Amino acid sequence: MPPQCGGRKPHLAPQQQPFRLLPALLTKPHTGNAGPPADRPPEPEPATPRRTRRMRRRKPRRGRALRHSHAAPRQRPFEFQTATEQQMASAGSAASPVSPASSLLLPRAPPGVKRRGRMRPRRSELAVACPLVSVVFPGAVTRESCCLFACELLKHVMHQRHQLPLPYEQLAYFCRRAAKDGDVIKKSASMDLASKKCQQVLMELEGVLQHLEVMFRLTLVPRVLILLGGNVMRPKELYELNLEGILEGSAEESLKTASCVRKLFHSLFVADVFSELKALPAMGTVVMLQGHRSCGVDWFRPKLNYKVPTRGRKLVVNLSCDGDINMSTLPAQHVTSDWEDYVWFQAPVTLKGFHE
Amino acid sequence: MDEVAGELKQALPNVCDNIQVHVEVLQKSNSAAKKEDIRMSVLKLLNRHNIVFGDYKWTEFDDGFLNNNVQSVSIVDTDLKLKDRQPIDLSKGSLSLHIFHLNEEGPSSENVEEENEDIIAASHWVLPAAEFHGLWESLIYETEVKSHLLDYVTTTLLFSDKNVDSNLISWNRVVLLHGPPGTGKTSLCKALAQKLTIRLSYRYRYGQLIEINSHSLFSKWFSESGKLVTKMFQKIQELIDDKDALVFVLIDEVESLTAARSAFKAGTEPSDAIRVVNAVLTQIDQIKRYPNVVILTTSNITEKIDMAFVDRADIKQYIGPPSTAAIFRIYLSCLEELMKCQIIYPRQQLLTLRELEMIGFVENNVSRLSLVLREISRRSEGLSGRVLRKLPFLAHALYIQSPSVTMTTFLQALSLAVDKQFEERSKLADCV
Repeated sequence: MPPQCGGRKPHLAPQQQPFRLLPALLTKPHTGNAGPPADRPPEPEPATPRRTRRMRRRKPRRGRALRHSHAAPRQRPFEFQTATEQQMASAGSAASPVSPASSLLLPRAPPGVKRRGRMRPRRSELAVACPLVSVVFPGAVTRESCCLFACELLKHVMHQRHQLPLPYEQLAYFCRRAAKDGDVIKKSASMDLASKKCQQVLMELEGVLQHLEVMFRLTLVPRVLILLGGNVMRPKELYELNLEGILEGSAEESLKTASCVRKLFHSLFVADVFSELKALPAMGTVVMLQGHRSCGVDWFRPKLNYKVPTRGRKLVVNLSCDGDINMSTLPAQHVTSDWEDYVWFQAPVTLKGFHE
Repeated sequence: MDEVAGELKQALPNVCDNIQVHVEVLQKSNSAAKKEDIRMSVLKLLNRHNIVFGDYKWTEFDDGFLNNNVQSVSIVDTDLKLKDRQPIDLSKGSLSLHIFHLNEEGPSSENVEEENEDIIAASHWVLPAAEFHGLWESLIYETEVKSHLLDYVTTTLLFSDKNVDSNLISWNRVVLLHGPPGTGKTSLCKALAQKLTIRLSYRYRYGQLIEINSHSLFSKWFSESGKLVTKMFQKIQELIDDKDALVFVLIDEVESLTAARSAFKAGTEPSDAIRVVNAVLTQIDQIKRYPNVVILTTSNITEKIDMAFVDRADIKQYIGPPSTAAIFRIYLSCLEELMKCQIIYPRQQLLTLRELEMIGFVENNVSRLSLVLREISRRSEGLSGRVLRKLPFLAHALYIQSPSVTMTTFLQALSLAVDKQFEERSKLADCV
């Protein structure tokens, strides 16, 4: 095994990783350095002068690191990279004359950097307390896209945190094939049990994904939580998808879903949030999400008393929108004053992780 | 005029007022309605039904809003404060409404890691849990056991609230329930945790119940057991740090963790076990500073427990086998359930012991079956609550085996089952 993939599962070849994990995107003809897809959103305007200046100052060091990480994002040294640094890095690249093809995969310089500048936590605090991955989309996003972000993140987290032995799509494929072959080949009892368990988990996960879709159709969802282990009040690990900063647009005016998902996952890979974590035993995963009190959802159970736990390992994925968005054409956005009518809902199933 | 009114009041049955009436409102699991809205509707409902006799439960409502959002509204625990069933004027007494949701997921396990091994050291419930719903009501004790326990915690909270100096007046937040097996000690602990979570929902968002598996805290490595206990309590400490949570630590069969250290002098126990006792004692002393924790312990063999631990328990409640009156109520609740499930059919009205007393135990058509049940209860004295709860099942399994029976047949079978139980017991005693 090459030294750079030490500590990772041997079957995950580094350069394959992003694409294996996102089979949904395989339909798009792109490889690491392929040309931009036709539906790519227009290249955003260059960053503000002040920000650019700051980027440039850091460019010599960061630029190299970035190119390195871009060629094989998973080859980064096993240090934790904070969101701010990552934004710097990607911002630096946007300003630097890299090929247009590679800039497609890189997050644009997020304007959030400037806003956050004042209260930016120290690096050590960020790494220990609450790692944050911020993704800024250069335009409005549809609600269906938001739903897909949540679904893909759930699948990704479950695989990366060792609750599924293979990525969801592969597992589903093998399971379907096994079900088809099942009546032809007689399997041993233990194999049968394992495949039954796998099918059970997949069925439950599929159910959650479907109900997520329903939920997103019924209500605006400002936050989604993926809770691993323990119980909902005190999970072992917590992944939060924050969609509060998303500007919702109609299908015509919004960015294409695939490019947004690509961008989200690219940011996750660059931030390299999963590599340093210890392998987990199989445990339960619970999905919680915020929705409007009277959205009329039946499957998810309201948890009026719920409070997002502060302890335990936590990763926040912050999504927001920016860029030249004509606010008047967008549907009415929600004002923060009625956030209090948004309550937590919990999926009534616990997805039980399994190892093969 | 006032005199006449006064006389009239005396003539009427004593309407009790000025008591604290607890109303538990179970919100439907899919309802996200605001607590204030539900409170308003429930108060309206209670206004319409001014006077209730003892505990009462509504499950169907005229109000569409309540129908959609509320599973049940129950007036509970009036019997804890009032000796007899008497009318309660809801408009005069002070009402406290407790609106809650049940958590449907089962217990999660809490691990203590030791040398790459994960040992499940505790089960962990988020309260109020669906699993424990109705448990409190199903536990029947003749003395004021339940109200004592509730009052104890109320005082504990009052003292913590008023910042009473714990160096001057100390209380340890430890409850020890002891008594023969099968009397519902563990269930009472769980039910108490559930009850308190509901009662105190206005100050704590949720409750956590941690049931420690005492045996899993003993390590295979010499001298490691004490450390495991410390690790376990560290986890509990983390839970306590959340000020919104009310934490209950349940240590079942506590004598295994706090065996009397004096016994070690004989040299028959390993010194590792002494360390466990020491660890538990010091950890309890650490925890008692926090206002939001209660330690519940149970034991069958009290004399084996270390004196230092017994000393620390604020309440040492003896839970004995049920009396005839309690047995009668247990049977009555069992038969009610069987009639609800239509295993006993047709439905027959059974009288309570108090109603029997009021008619002077005269046998007539209405009271005949109840008197038979009373006789069975009298003969069942000496059986534990656990046995009593399974007797209706055994009666059906051994003597009936048909999908539905009449009450008379069932009571005959129950009577036979009681006899068999005593017979088995005497045989077991002969063998020894």
